[in-house]
Amino acid sequence: MQLEKFYYDNKIVRNFGIATVIWGIIGMTVGLLIAIQLYSPGANMGNQYTSFGRIRPLHTNAVIFAFVGNAIFMGVYYSLQRLLKARMFSDALSQIHFWGWQLIIISAVITLPLGFTTSHEYAELEWPIDIAITLIWVVFGINMFGTIFKRRERHLYVAIWFYIATFVTIAVLHIVNSVELPVSAFKSYMVYAGVQDALVQWWYGHNAVAFFLTTPYLGMMYYFLPKMANRPVYSYKLSILHFWALIFIYIWAGPHHLLYTTLPGWAQSLGVAFSIMLIAPSWGGMINGLLTLRGAWDKVRDDVVLKFMVVGLTAYGMATFEGPMLSLKQINAVGHFTDWIIAHVHVGALGWNGFLTFAILYWVIPRIYKTELYSKKMAAFHFWIGTLGILFYAVPMYWAGFTQGLMLKEFTPEGMLKYPNFLETTMRIIPMHVVRSVGGGMYLLGVIVMAFNLCKTALKGKLLANEAAEAMPLAPLTVEPAEKAHWHRALERKPIQFMILSLLVILIGTFIELMPTLTISSNIPTIASVKPYTPLELQGRDLYIREGCSNCHSQTVRPFRSETERYGEYSKAGEFVYDHPFLWGSKRTGPDLQREGGKYGDSWHYNHLMDPRLMSPGSIMPNYDWLISQKLDTSLTAAKINAMRTLGVPYAPGYEKIANRELAAQAKGISDNLYKDHIKVKSDKEIIAIIAYIQRLGTDIKANKTPNK
Amino acid sequence: MFRQFTEHISENQGYLLFSLGIFLVFFIVVTIMLIRLKKTHIEYMSDMPLNDTISEPDQIEQP
Repeated sequence: MQLEKFYYDNKIVRNFGIATVIWGIIGMTVGLLIAIQLYSPGANMGNQYTSFGRIRPLHTNAVIFAFVGNAIFMGVYYSLQRLLKARMFSDALSQIHFWGWQLIIISAVITLPLGFTTSHEYAELEWPIDIAITLIWVVFGINMFGTIFKRRERHLYVAIWFYIATFVTIAVLHIVNSVELPVSAFKSYMVYAGVQDALVQWWYGHNAVAFFLTTPYLGMMYYFLPKMANRPVYSYKLSILHFWALIFIYIWAGPHHLLYTTLPGWAQSLGVAFSIMLIAPSWGGMINGLLTLRGAWDKVRDDVVLKFMVVGLTAYGMATFEGPMLSLKQINAVGHFTDWIIAHVHVGALGWNGFLTFAILYWVIPRIYKTELYSKKMAAFHFWIGTLGILFYAVPMYWAGFTQGLMLKEFTPEGMLKYPNFLETTMRIIPMHVVRSVGGGMYLLGVIVMAFNLCKTALKGKLLANEAAEAMPLAPLTVEPAEKAHWHRALERKPIQFMILSLLVILIGTFIELMPTLTISSNIPTIASVKPYTPLELQGRDLYIREGCSNCHSQTVRPFRSETERYGEYSKAGEFVYDHPFLWGSKRTGPDLQREGGKYGDSWHYNHLMDPRLMSPGSIMPNYDWLISQKLDTSLTAAKINAMRTLGVPYAPGYEKIANRELAAQAKGISDNLYKDHIKVKSDKEIIAIIAYIQRLGTDIKANKTPNK
Repeated sequence: MFRQFTEHISENQGYLLFSLGIFLVFFIVVTIMLIRLKKTHIEYMSDMPLNDTISEPDQIEQP
C-alpha cells in the first residue's frame, strides 16, 4: 500500500480564527458598555437601540455564538483534519459554513438592537434566523461526518467524540427550544407556556453551556494540550469515562436554574442531584488536563501558551465545582438572581473559554503562517492583564452577589424587612460594578493586544493555505480475532453508531425530565381566575419582551418570607399557563414584577418609564421616553390573538375581529386616567400598552387563591 | 431498614432514585468496558495527536 499525499485546508482555519478575534472584540466591547450602564444608565446615549435590555442579549450572543462559536470551528477544523489524516470533506461546504455563520451573527447584530427577540436566554434570535442556524449546523455536520468517512485513521480519537456529541446535542437542543409559532416575519410565540416553557428553556440554556461552551472545548483540550506540551494525555481511560459520564449527566442538570420556582419538586430534585454528580466527570477532565503537564511544569514557566491552558483548566475546575454548589437549594436561595451568578458564569467564560481560545490562537496562527509569534512579551502581557482582568471582574461580582443576596433576606429584630426598598441594595453594590467594568476593560485590552500581535505575526509569515501531509490509506477491515475484539474499540471506528449512541445517552435524561412536565396536566395545576391577557395587555407584553425587561426583572416570587413580604404572594404554576413565552428572568438587577399590578397608579408608571430617577432617586434603569413618542403597532393584533388561540389560549372564536376595538377602549381608559394626573398622552402610544401589561401582572391570583386541578 | 425505606419513599423520590439507578448501571458498564480495554490500544489512542503527519499501520486490522 502506497503513502497518499494530501493537503490540510488551513485557510478555513485562518478564516474562523480571524472571525474569532473580531467578534470577540465586538462582543466584549458590548459587554463593557452594558457593564458601564449598570452604574451610569446614560451610557446608552439615550438611544433605544443601545439600551441594556436590548443589547445584553447582543453581548451574550456575540461572545457565545460569535466569539466562542468561531473558536470552536477554528479548533475543530484544525484538529479534525489532522486526527483523521484527511482534508475537510468539501471546501465548498467549509465556505458555506463560514459565511453562513457570519451572516447569522450579522443578522443577530441587526435584529437584537431592533428588539426582535424571543426572550429565551441565549436563544433570543427570531424564527427565520433559527431556521438559518439549523441549516448551517447541518452543513457543519455533513462536512464533519464527510471528513470522518474519508479518513485515513481507523479509530476516532476522544476529541472527535466530543465534537460528535456537540453536533448532535446542539441540534436537539436548538430544535426543541426553537419550536415557535410565527406571527410575522420577525415575531413568534413559543409553543410552550409558563412552567413548561421555563423547563424547556433551562434544559436548553444549561446544556448550551454544556455542549457549546464545554464539550467542544474539552475536545480541543484533548487535542491541543498534548500537542502544546508534546506529551500524550495523562489517562486515555479517564478521558473515555470523562466523556460518557459527562454527556450522560449534563443533560439532566438544567432544572437547577429553576429552584424554588413553580417547577414540580421532583424535577428540581433531579436537577440538584445530577448537578452534584457532575463534579466527578468535570473534575476528571480537569485533572486529566492538568496531569498531562506532569513532568512538563518547567515548560509552563516559559511558555505563555501553556500558561493560558493552565489558568483555563483551573477556571474550568473552579466553575464546575461552584456550579454544583450553587445547585444546592440553601446556597441557591442566596445566590440566585444576584451577581454571584454573573461571577460564576464569567469565571467559566473568561477563564475556560477565553483562555483556551487565546492559547489555541497563539499556537495555531504561527504554525499555519509558518513563522514565530511576533512578540512573546505582548503575549505574556496579554496573559497577565487577562488574568488580573478576571480577578478584577469576578471578585467584586462575588462581593456584590453576597451583599445583595444577604441584604434582600435580612430582617430587623422586630420582624420587618431591614431593606424594604430594593433600590437600597442596588445602590450599595454600585462600587463593585464600577470595579467589575475595570476588570472587563483590562480583559478586553488584553484581547486587543493579542489581535495586534497575531496581525503582526500573520504579516511576518505567509499563510500555508494547503499544508502537505502524507498517510497510509485505510486498509480494508478484516474481522478482529475474537479474543481481541472489544465493543468500545469497535465503536471508535464507527462514527454513525457512535453518534446514535451519544444521542441515546443524552435523550434518556431529556425524556425523563421533560416529558412528564410537558404531558401530565397534574404537574401544572390551573387556576380558574387566571384569564388570557386583553389585546392591549398582550401588545404591552410584547413591548416588555422587545425592550428586554426580563433581563433585569424577574416574574417569579419564591416561597421565602423575605420575598413574600417584599413582593407578595409566592408564584403558582397555574398563573403562567397563558404565558408564551414565560418571562421569569434569571437576574434581579431590579425588583421582581410578578405582583406589580395595582401597586402603583398609572401615572407613577408613566413617570417612572419616562425617567426612573423621578420616582426612584438613584435608580439605574434607563429612560424609556421613546415609548411615549412611538405609536403602538396594532396591525398584528388579530394575528397575535389567532396565534395564541392556536397555542391553546381560550380566546373566543371571532374575538380577533373585535380585539383592536377592545384594545382602543382599554387604552382610552388608561389615557383618561393619566389625564386626571395632568399627564397628556394619546391613547395610541406604546407606553399605554406597557402600563396596561404591568398593571395586570399578578392580579389574577388576588381574585381567587384556590388552585383547581 | 430497607423495608422502612421503601415504605416511606414518596413517588417523587422514587423517580429520582430510578434516574440515579439508570446512571449507576450506565457508569458500571462504562467502567467494566474501560477495565477490559487493551493497554496497547490505549497507548496507540493516547499518542494519536502527536502522530498526525504519518499514520501508523494498523497492526490488528491489516488484512
